[in-house]
Amino acid sequence: MIIKLTDVNKTYPGAVPLHVLKDINLEIRRGELVSIMGASGSGKSTLLNILGILDNYDSGEYLLDGVEIKDLSENRAAELRNKMIGFVFQSFNLISYKTALENVALPLFYQGVGRKKRNLMAMEQLERMGLADRATHLPGELSGGQKQRVAIARSIVTNPSLILADEPTGALDSHTSKEVMEVFRQLNSDGMTVVIVTHDPGVGAATDRIIRIVDGEIAHGNV
Amino acid sequence: MKLAIFDIENWREIGATLARNKTRTFLTAFGIFWGTAMLAMLLGGASGMEGIMRRQFAGFATNMGATFSGTRSLSYKGFNKGSYWQLTEQDIALVRSKAPYIEKSSEINGKSVTATYGDKTKSCQVIGVEAEYSEIVSPILTEGRLLNETDVLHNRKVAVIGKNMATELFGSGSPLGKYVGLDGVYFLVVGVAAQRGDMSIAGRIDDSFLLPSTTMRRAYNFGNKVGFFVYTAPSGHGPSENEAAIRRAISHNHPIHPNDERAIQFMDISQNFAMVDGLFLGLSILALFVGAGSLMAGVIGVGNIMWIIVKERTHEFGIRRALGAKPLDITVQVLSESVVLTLISGVAGVCFATIVLGVVDMVSADPIHGTAGFQISFGLAMGIVFAFIVLGTAAGTLPAVKAMKIKPIEALRDK
Repeated sequence: MIIKLTDVNKTYPGAVPLHVLKDINLEIRRGELVSIMGASGSGKSTLLNILGILDNYDSGEYLLDGVEIKDLSENRAAELRNKMIGFVFQSFNLISYKTALENVALPLFYQGVGRKKRNLMAMEQLERMGLADRATHLPGELSGGQKQRVAIARSIVTNPSLILADEPTGALDSHTSKEVMEVFRQLNSDGMTVVIVTHDPGVGAATDRIIRIVDGEIAHGNV
Repeated sequence: MKLAIFDIENWREIGATLARNKTRTFLTAFGIFWGTAMLAMLLGGASGMEGIMRRQFAGFATNMGATFSGTRSLSYKGFNKGSYWQLTEQDIALVRSKAPYIEKSSEINGKSVTATYGDKTKSCQVIGVEAEYSEIVSPILTEGRLLNETDVLHNRKVAVIGKNMATELFGSGSPLGKYVGLDGVYFLVVGVAAQRGDMSIAGRIDDSFLLPSTTMRRAYNFGNKVGFFVYTAPSGHGPSENEAAIRRAISHNHPIHPNDERAIQFMDISQNFAMVDGLFLGLSILALFVGAGSLMAGVIGVGNIMWIIVKERTHEFGIRRALGAKPLDITVQVLSESVVLTLISGVAGVCFATIVLGVVDMVSADPIHGTAGFQISFGLAMGIVFAFIVLGTAAGTLPAVKAMKIKPIEALRDK
């Protein structure tokens, strides 16, 4: 079991406290290709943030690859994110003044991998994405699809336990969206666990399992 | 734990972020550059000004005092207010025996004369002095010898010629052993001397002849008249400590009212020195104050640019945090940027100031006194740069800590 959520609750405090996640129980197995779908405001982004150790939850239990994720220090959280999770974002989130290669190598930099070795490893992932000839380009010189493939290369360079993708096709046209989904399918068939958060039914349909979240509760798709 | 300092990526990143907004980086760098340069130039300038001022007093013993006749400010024993009395040889003999803190002393008389040598004539000053004069005023002897006690004791007709007079009358030849007419009285030239500082009593040595005081009084009918009496106090005592004794001695010989402060004139060089010392202490403090102000302005500039950089890069920091950067990694990154900026522009500022001071020092150099000392020591230069780095780091700390506290999800949301 790569992800196991048990009775996870999350409330945003405020004048009117917002109970965004209500007793979420969720299991994702190693090697799955899963999409989490829901309308905006349904709590799917909060769920993604909790899965990505970017946010805390109030009660319940979250096991990521057997590690309990609860009240971690910033340093420990950063370490776990770095080693276990590969992020893919809607807006790519590449660093604009770094080349494709440097962007891909960045997570390794924070692991303390030497420069030569990390460039070698990053190049390997770029090759895998078919972007070896774009290694020295800045993100501004790449198309949307290329940028997203660089971002995917970056997410897998540390060989994480799972990839978390937040609307990975949101900024792409339908043709490139298909390509990117194909990349995810390919990674999945190589054994990678992929979790995609989306509201695009087409993207959902391209995954093996759809988890629907409505008003902070899992409506459908849990096993 | 990795050491980011040794990773070239880190340095390239610093360069890249600083280069991204060239104008702003330049302006900030200029602020620090100017701050360091200003501080260094002010401190060096103050020391140079002091050097120039000291030239004026050069040669004068710092604990010198002088006494001379003045006019009465109080009527006494039939002598009206405003009347003059004359200091004499006898007064000096009495003062020497009574004043407790006199180490070296000399009487001084001055007179304008016409000097003749061959077919050349030149108006100039003769200064009658005793042997110890040279130990109080310390002229620079360039040739021959100075006057000694035997010259004074035996009324010898010898003279020490000032260096300008020597050139005027003898050109490039040596005046030693030649006889020069001074208002018709001939003197054998035994030495050539130059003035050391800008201050003088009874005329500049450069444009004068030094004569034995006794010979001079006889030659020009001074009788027992004495113009000035100069003396130094032994170390540990001030010249002014003699004042009461000198007043008593002179009042014993002349009808002067005991409360008449102005009839007997006193001068205490040590007070002038104390004043100049105070002046330069004040100047140094002012330089430090103004310099520290420009330093603060530069440092605040660094803090400001770092603050803006952090705000601008919040999203990027969010990405980095998501990818596994620890809060400390981000802090180190921001801090090293401010340190690099401060270091480069600070060193440049000090180099610039050193060049400027070097030029000023060269221009203001004087053949006798050498350079005035428009300089800062290497230690001081390093100190200024070091202070800037410390302050630059301090200025970068606030933004760096702010950058560290940003939560990754908030940072990622920030566009």
